[in-house]
Amino acid sequence: MQEIAQLLINGIVSGTILAVPAIGFTAIYAVLRFPNFAVASHATVGAFAGYVANASLGLPAPVAVLAGFAVAGVVGVASDQLALRPLRPSGALASAIASVALMIALENVLRFVFGNDLRGFDLPIMRDWRFGGLRVGPQQLQNLGMAVAAMTALFLFLAFARTGKAMRAVADNPALADIKGIDPERMARLASFIGMGLAGAGGVLLGLDTSIDPLTGFRAILAIFAAAVVGGLGSIPGAVVGALTVGIAEELSLVAFQPAYRTAVGFVAILIVLTVRPRGLLGERAY
Amino acid sequence: MGLLSVEGVIAGYSAADEILKGVSLAVEAGEIVAILGPNGAGKSTLLKSIAGLIRPKRGKVSFAGERIDGLAPRQVSARGLAFVPQEQNIFPRLSVLENLEMGGYVDPAGAQRRIPALLQRFPMLAEKRRQAARTLSGGQRQVLAMAMALMVEPKLLLLDEPSAGLSPIAAERLFATVSGINADGIAIIMVEQNALEALSIAKRSYILVDGRNSRSGISAELAADPEVRRVFLGG
Repeated sequence: MQEIAQLLINGIVSGTILAVPAIGFTAIYAVLRFPNFAVASHATVGAFAGYVANASLGLPAPVAVLAGFAVAGVVGVASDQLALRPLRPSGALASAIASVALMIALENVLRFVFGNDLRGFDLPIMRDWRFGGLRVGPQQLQNLGMAVAAMTALFLFLAFARTGKAMRAVADNPALADIKGIDPERMARLASFIGMGLAGAGGVLLGLDTSIDPLTGFRAILAIFAAAVVGGLGSIPGAVVGALTVGIAEELSLVAFQPAYRTAVGFVAILIVLTVRPRGLLGERAY
Repeated sequence: MGLLSVEGVIAGYSAADEILKGVSLAVEAGEIVAILGPNGAGKSTLLKSIAGLIRPKRGKVSFAGERIDGLAPRQVSARGLAFVPQEQNIFPRLSVLENLEMGGYVDPAGAQRRIPALLQRFPMLAEKRRQAARTLSGGQRQVLAMAMALMVEPKLLLLDEPSAGLSPIAAERLFATVSGINADGIAIIMVEQNALEALSIAKRSYILVDGRNSRSGISAELAADPEVRRVFLGG
């Protein structure tokens, strides 16, 4: 019982961190209507930007997360304009395939610059907190807090800022949004910046939890995609619910399976959702 | 010079496609003009060509003396010409209040001023302002769509089959709303299948057949014309 409680705690922490890039993925899908798999490499770009801020410049972890957000957001807009935008008239499939190519290209740029070694953030060593036989790391809690802060900031932006509402309007009905004077290209750039920025922030949070290398984002992409599909592609609250579901399910799978099979949880989650409820837990339409 | 002038517009949804084969019309400030005709006559295509959603291949569209054919929908909207599509004319997941805000997106300062006035004019919207727009009935959605269009204080409102799918009572209320909007001096072009109702509230009407002008004139005269009654009004 205690083991399951510990796995649940770990699952909630990892699910909350996973929610950050999953929201980025689903936000881009909601506005641009294609699955942008380059979220993976942007998570890695963010992770390395955060690493430079933290390990090289000596800045604290929250600033590293902000640096990861900003750098991945800017790279996201630039790469979208250069590589993906010209393909938009060819449809979602062409853009999705191009995003896989973009992911591989960016990963190899990082490999060329930083090499293949594992790198760890410069964090103070702290003892885990124990209560009732359960353990929680202070860094885990700080990561949880930063993930919740990032999500809260996004929710506030989408709910109250005029531009945030316009972004939701484009996601809801792009043709009408254009008639009402909302520039679809501006919203596309904003969605790329916020979506890839969140992927970058998520990459830093993943790195703070373990370590980073050029495949950090690639290893997480299945769980990110699964979280977005389980929650309902295009639904931001859905991405949070999906990420928590996948995060907790991954941890609980350790009760019955070897850790090597943990990544299969994402596949199983996608399979179940597409079979039973194709629109996802909180999605409003099937894709 | 009228408010809107459409001259010999040829337009369609693809390069090979010609739904409109040379349509012309004129609208004066403050009048209601109805566009009638059988299915496939090009009525909605004509509105989309005026609103900038379809770029005419040939012909001219001028609004308040300025050429607007070839402009993007948001540029047309910014000039005081508001289009209300037949379907998908609201943002279903946004609240009623947010829909109104997005209706006035091009003029945020003015939008904040106009929202209270519109909520007062349409008490139903005030009552449901916090609800998601998808929870409104068909008639309520049409009212919201028109209120969103009014957020930019348009000189001309383009309504594409506003009564489609509504019950007779809801349609009657909607036409009363349209007349009320026009009473404020806003010109309206209305595409309608409900020809009798449209002729009763429009000052002038145009009848399109197969992408061309067929008949036009004072609505009351058209409604009394035996041929028009036989072909378009079911006797």
